[in-house]
Amino acid sequence: MKLVLGIGNEILTDDGIGPRLVNDLSKNCLNQNVHFACACVGGLEIIELLNGYDEAILIDAIRTKNGTPGSVYLFSPDDFRETMHLSNLHDISFLTALRLGKKLNIKLPEEIRIIAVEIIEDREFSNELTPPLNSRYPEILKEIKDYLITEQVFDNSV
Amino acid sequence: MKKITIDPITRLEGHGKIEIFLTDQGDVENVYFQVPELRGFEKFCEGRPVEELSRIVTKICGVCPGCHHMAAGKAIDAVFGLAPPPTALKIRELFYMAHFIHSHIAHFYALAAPDFVVGPNADPSERNILGVIAKVGKEVGTEVIRQRRLAQEIQAMLGGHQTHVVLNIPGGVRKGLTEEQREQLIPIGKGFQKFAKFSLQLFRDVVLANSDYVNMILEGPYNLKIHSMGLVDSNNKVNFYDGMVRVVDTEGKEKYKYHAIDYRDYIAERVEPWTYLKFPYLRKIGWKGFVEGQDSGVYHATPLSRLNAADGMATPLANEAYQELFSTFGGKPVHATLAMHWARLVELLYAAERFNELIKDPEITGKELRADLKEIVGEGVGCVEAQRGTLTHHYWTDSRGMVTKVNIIVGTTNNHAAICMSLKKAAQYVIKAGIEPDQGILNQIEMAFRAYDPCFSCATHSLPGQMPLLVNFKDSDGNIIRTIQRD
Repeated sequence: MKLVLGIGNEILTDDGIGPRLVNDLSKNCLNQNVHFACACVGGLEIIELLNGYDEAILIDAIRTKNGTPGSVYLFSPDDFRETMHLSNLHDISFLTALRLGKKLNIKLPEEIRIIAVEIIEDREFSNELTPPLNSRYPEILKEIKDYLITEQVFDNSV
Repeated sequence: MKKITIDPITRLEGHGKIEIFLTDQGDVENVYFQVPELRGFEKFCEGRPVEELSRIVTKICGVCPGCHHMAAGKAIDAVFGLAPPPTALKIRELFYMAHFIHSHIAHFYALAAPDFVVGPNADPSERNILGVIAKVGKEVGTEVIRQRRLAQEIQAMLGGHQTHVVLNIPGGVRKGLTEEQREQLIPIGKGFQKFAKFSLQLFRDVVLANSDYVNMILEGPYNLKIHSMGLVDSNNKVNFYDGMVRVVDTEGKEKYKYHAIDYRDYIAERVEPWTYLKFPYLRKIGWKGFVEGQDSGVYHATPLSRLNAADGMATPLANEAYQELFSTFGGKPVHATLAMHWARLVELLYAAERFNELIKDPEITGKELRADLKEIVGEGVGCVEAQRGTLTHHYWTDSRGMVTKVNIIVGTTNNHAAICMSLKKAAQYVIKAGIEPDQGILNQIEMAFRAYDPCFSCATHSLPGQMPLLVNFKDSDGNIIRTIQRD
């Protein structure tokens, strides 16, 4: 069983692009072996969300230095190695959560991929994406959908 | 699609920042704590039907959505002039106890325990929940995950979703609890209580039995003599869901006790030019600066302040734990910042006991779930204790119930001045001229604000999903002379 998980806050402008993409992707997937879900925080909760799946794809927002809004990046959890072992203010980090799950023999996906979309605004409350991201949204959706088809996450896409 | 590895520097843009200004001699002169501020929530709410707010506010923050949902529900009741029936109030409180249980478990084991079980100066690679489990055993780790998950599942059962809660409606709750569900919850409640008692014993064994830790709590820089705030019931016992706001002074004497709707008579907010986040203070005393003492307007609203502000806990075992805490510290009030971790565990036991009281109450499965709608009053205040402090929602509407204005004082905001002062004291204590700051020193500074369980940028979680921290050391001319970061 595969999980496609959108992470973000839908009322915080571009921060909600992950859940929005997952919602739209779910309409284009007939594969019964794929579950779609959304979450707004990581940490300990991520263990429960990933528990029991064979494979997981997380879709989130990202801000990088000099990044182009709408760029889509692909990571593996190892790409975040530098954040390992470190706590955050409210919860444990993503990688610490994964390590904790494995330590406690919780069934976590063998493969986890993280798709991240470069965003502009995540501090202002709004239901809408910023105009540059909104105008690029169809191609962002297509890029991610094509990737998931190529990777056979979507077997029977429409 | 590009494969990249993030440059760590980029993750720090706009995130938590501590600026430490040093004297020419290299000692700490001042400390500024800056966090990103989310903008426009009040405007986002304006023009919407007020009953929508209890659902929208759960998205302000992914960490304490249940608290916002409860405060909003109470404010909306007031806007409609409604008093929920007893069953609805008890279901709300049952939900809220589960919310406290999951949050307090997560904070203690993931954030507080590493500093004590593993050690405040331990290598950062070990000073985390994995290090805690390595010391106390996998069985404890499994139980942490299990108890937290059960508390989350109960919130989902009652509220429809554990984060995006849809429990409260004007004057009540949207659905009740069946007898079958109640029976399911009885053994879970017993498990909560057992685990809370275990957690308190762990604190005794690991922290109180270690004289170094006790000295650090009592004698170190982690003390702040300020006023204490908390909600209390009619017997002046701690209450998370309802009651009057009580403020006790630095000597433990009641200073104010007021209904939440009067909060603006007692609380004012100060703006400083170096941060977007405001600094609430006691209006009747006035803003006297970032200073401690009886004449200061600074207060805190934390698990420890709640215990300071009350005369006890409303459940028997938690009340015993309450008495033990204060007798250990030589009476009330306690000003030891790190004692907040102990207070949080006393509250965990209270939440578990109260959960069990509610689940045994025959009214919990009652069928009267909401009051009938009447005329719109047009203004309402809802106040609860969030895990991180007293949370107040204040809404105004027009005659149709459309929102015209919103004001929210978030739990952590109450503590903003106290956090800044605690950081400065810790920094002054651990940073000395001629000693090169390192991650251990950074952690000892962080411990000062970690105790508050702060929730500043909680709704912003774009990758990497946590709040990095940057510490800049500046000389007397304001030039950065050293930077330490915690990603």
